[in-house]
Amino acid sequence: MTADHDPAKRSAADAPRAPRAFVPTDDEARQTARPETAPPRRPTVVSGAVALTEAEDDPFLREALELPPAAPRRRRRLTPGKILLSALGLLLSLAIGLWVDQLVRSLFDRLPWLGWTALGLAAIALIAFMLLLWREIRGLMRLARVAELRAEVDSAEVDGGGPVTAAEARRLSHQVSTFLGNRAQTARGRAALKALDGEIVDGPQLLAFAERELLATLDREARKLIVNAARRVSLVTAISPRASLDMLYVAWEALRLVRAMAILYGGRPGTFGLLRLFRDVIAHLAVTGTVAAGDSILQQAIGTGVAAKLSARLGEGVINGLMTARIGISAMDLCRPMPFKALRRPRVSEFFTDLSAFAAKNSGTKSAP
Amino acid sequence: MPPSITSLSDEARIALGTLGERAGGIFNAPSLRLGVTGLSRAGKTIFITSLVHNLIHGGRLPMFEAAWEGRLSKAYLQPQPDDAVPRFQYEDHIARLVTDRLWPASTRAISELRLVLEFESASGWGRLFSGGKLNLDIVDYPGEWLLDLPLLSQDYRSFSERAVALARSPARSDLSGAWLAQAGEIAAHADASEEKARALAGAFTSYLAACKADSRALSTLPPGRFLMPGDLEGSPALTFAPLPDLPDGRAPSGSFQAMMERRFESYKTAVVKPFFRDHIARLDRQIVLIDAMQAMNAGRDAVIDLERALGEVLECFRPGRANPITRLFAHRIDKVLVAATKADHLHHESHDRLEALVRRLVERAAQRIGASGAGFEVMAMAAVRATREARGESDGETLPLIVGTPLAGETITGQTFDGATKTAIFPGDLPTDPDSFFQQLESSSQASIPPINIVRFRPPRIETDDQGVKLSLPHIRLDRALQYLLGDRLE
Repeated sequence: MTADHDPAKRSAADAPRAPRAFVPTDDEARQTARPETAPPRRPTVVSGAVALTEAEDDPFLREALELPPAAPRRRRRLTPGKILLSALGLLLSLAIGLWVDQLVRSLFDRLPWLGWTALGLAAIALIAFMLLLWREIRGLMRLARVAELRAEVDSAEVDGGGPVTAAEARRLSHQVSTFLGNRAQTARGRAALKALDGEIVDGPQLLAFAERELLATLDREARKLIVNAARRVSLVTAISPRASLDMLYVAWEALRLVRAMAILYGGRPGTFGLLRLFRDVIAHLAVTGTVAAGDSILQQAIGTGVAAKLSARLGEGVINGLMTARIGISAMDLCRPMPFKALRRPRVSEFFTDLSAFAAKNSGTKSAP
Repeated sequence: MPPSITSLSDEARIALGTLGERAGGIFNAPSLRLGVTGLSRAGKTIFITSLVHNLIHGGRLPMFEAAWEGRLSKAYLQPQPDDAVPRFQYEDHIARLVTDRLWPASTRAISELRLVLEFESASGWGRLFSGGKLNLDIVDYPGEWLLDLPLLSQDYRSFSERAVALARSPARSDLSGAWLAQAGEIAAHADASEEKARALAGAFTSYLAACKADSRALSTLPPGRFLMPGDLEGSPALTFAPLPDLPDGRAPSGSFQAMMERRFESYKTAVVKPFFRDHIARLDRQIVLIDAMQAMNAGRDAVIDLERALGEVLECFRPGRANPITRLFAHRIDKVLVAATKADHLHHESHDRLEALVRRLVERAAQRIGASGAGFEVMAMAAVRATREARGESDGETLPLIVGTPLAGETITGQTFDGATKTAIFPGDLPTDPDSFFQQLESSSQASIPPINIVRFRPPRIETDDQGVKLSLPHIRLDRALQYLLGDRLE
C-alpha cells in the first residue's frame, strides 16, 4: 500500500501498473465497525499525528441544544376553565331533564297516549346518548392504550437496565398482537407470531420480529394512504381558484388522513378522540419538525425550485402535498402501537419524488389542451 | 438470613435520631443525605469536589434538568448540621485540583459538607407547597473504613478464619508469609502479652498494606482502620490480629486468644458501630463509585478481590422503598447509582463495555437492591475529565485514543512519563462479554486479562473563556448522575 502511494517509486518504475483494490483510509465503516470477535488490541502510545476530536463532535462537550427535544408532557389538571365548563354542563343537563319532565307531564295531562309516546322517545334518546358516550369513551381509551403500549415498547428497549428480557418482550408483543386483533390485515403476522411463541429467546429480537410481522402490511397501507392524500392535495391546490379554498381542503384532507390512519392501526376514535389525536399530531409535528428540519427544508427548497420550473401553482401544490405527507407521517408515529425500530419510518423525501413526478405528469396533461 | 449487623438498641437510636431530623425538616428545608460510597481510591473526594464546584459555578450540566431549565437559582455551602464532624475542605481540594493540577491526597479522616440548593418547582402547586430549598448533606470518609461494615455480622472466630483463608490463597501467600509465620508461633491459649500483640498487629498491618499497593491493588482488606487509623492509632482497639487455626471451644480467660477476642469486639463497638450508625444507616440516596480500571490494570486477583469486597460491603446498606409513615423514623436508600469512575481513561466507544463489566461486578448486590424495590442504575462516569478524545493511526490501524498529560512515573509499553508532556494513549480493549470473562477468571488461576494498560492522568488545565472567566470542571455524565440522584427531589 505504501509503496504504491510513493510517487518517487512509481515514476522510477515506468511499467504499466497492475490493477488492484484498496480500502480507503477515510472509510467510516472501517473506523467504527470492528467485529466483536476480533482479538483485543494492545495498549499503545501513539506518537505522531493524532486527530483530536473537535469539541463539536465530542459527545460530552457538545452543547445540549442538540439533545433530542423532550416529547411534550401532557399534564392533566383541573383548571378554572374546566371547572366552569363541567359546572355549566351539569346545569344544562339538569335543565334538559326538567324540561323533558315538564313536557311529559303536560302531555300526560292532555292525552295519555301522547305522554307515553313522549316518554318512549325520551328513553330512546337517552339510550342513543349513552351509546354515543360509550363509543367516545372507548375511542379515547383506545387512543390512550396505543400511546401507553408504544411508550412501554420504547422504554423496554432503551432502558438503562440492558436489553429487554424475553419474558417482557413476549408480554409486550402479545399485547400488541391482541390490540391489533380487529385488523384483518394482521392475521398472517399474528399467526406467525403465535407459531413462533417461545422459540425466540432474545428479547430485542422478539420485539423486532413482532414489529416486522404485525406492522409491515399496515405500514405499506399507511404509505398508500399518505401518497393518495398528498396527491389529492397537490392536485386540488394546483387547480383551485382561491387560496382560502386550498387551505380548507388541506385541513379537511389532513383530518381525514389522521382518521384513516387511526382506524388502520386499530384505534377507533370517535369525534372527541379524533380531535384530540389531531391536536397531538400537530404538536408532534412541531417537535419532530425541528429535528428533521435539515432533511425536509432542503427538500422543500428543492421542491420549490423544481416545481417553480413547472409552474407556480404546481409548486404550491407540491409544497402542500409535502405538508400533508408530513402530517401523515406524524399521525403514523402516534397511531402505531410500536415505535419505529425494525422497520423504517417513511421519509418526506420519498413522497417528494412521487409528488413531483405526479405534478410533472399533470402539468403535461394540463398544458396539452 | 444472615445475622443482623445491628442490635435492637442500635435500631432504636437510629430511629430516634431520624425522628428528630424529620421533625426539624418540617420547619426548615428538607434534607437529603447522599452517601458517596466507594473503596479507597475510587474517587469519592473528587466526586464531591466536582459536584459542588459544578453546582455552585453553574457548570455545564445539560442532562441535569433543574439546572438546565434554569430552575436551580442558587447553590451554596452552609455550615453542616453535625458540629462534631470536621468540615469537608472543599476550598483546599478545588485549589489543589485547579491551580496545582494535582489530585487530592487520600482521605485520612471523616468530613462532612452541606450544600444548599435553591430551586423553583416546575409545577405551580409544587412552588406553593415546597420551600424551594433542599439541603444536600454529603459525608466523605476513607474508603478503607467501608471494609469494616461486614465485620459487624462476624465474631472473632469467623473473622480469623476468613482472614487466614484469604491470606493463604495463592494470590496473597507470598505477602502474608511473615505475618503467618509470626502468628504460628503464638499459642492461642498461652498467656496474653501486650508486646506480642503489638508485634503481631504490626505484621498484620504491613501485610494488608502490601496487598493494597498498586501492583496488587487488592480490595478485601478488613479491618479498614488498620490501613487508615484516623485518630485511633496505637489504641488497644486497633492492636489485634486474626489468629490461624484456633482451637475449638471457648478461650480460657487471660489467654492470648481471649484478649484478641475482646479487642475485636471493642473494635466493633467503639469504631465500626458509631460509623455505621451515624453515617451509613442514615443515607437517603447512594452513589457507589467503583474503579474497575485499576483492578483490571493489576490483573486477575485484583478483579476477583474487588468483586468480593464490593459484594460484602454493599450487603450492609439498606436499600428499599420508604412509605410516608416509615420515612418518619427510618432512612431507606431508595435509589442506588453504581458509577464506573474514571471513564475518561477510556474512549467513549468503550464506555458500554465498562458499564457491562461493572454491572457484572455488582451483580449480586444489584439483585438484592432490585428485590427491595429501590431504583438501581449503572453508568460510566468521570467526575473530573482529565482527557480529550482523538483518533490516530498505529501500525496501519485507526485507534480511538485519549489525550492527556499522564502523571509522572506512569508507564506504558516501557515508556515512563515525566508528568509534563501531553500524550495520546490507547489503553487497550475491555472484554466484550463480562459473563464469560468472569467465568474464565474464576475457573483458572492462570487466566489472563486482555492486555490493558490504564495510565493515570493529571487533572485538566481549566480553560478560560473569551471573557477571562474560568470555566467549570469538565466531566463525563456527572449531570446524568445528578439527575438520577437528585432530579426527583427538585421537580
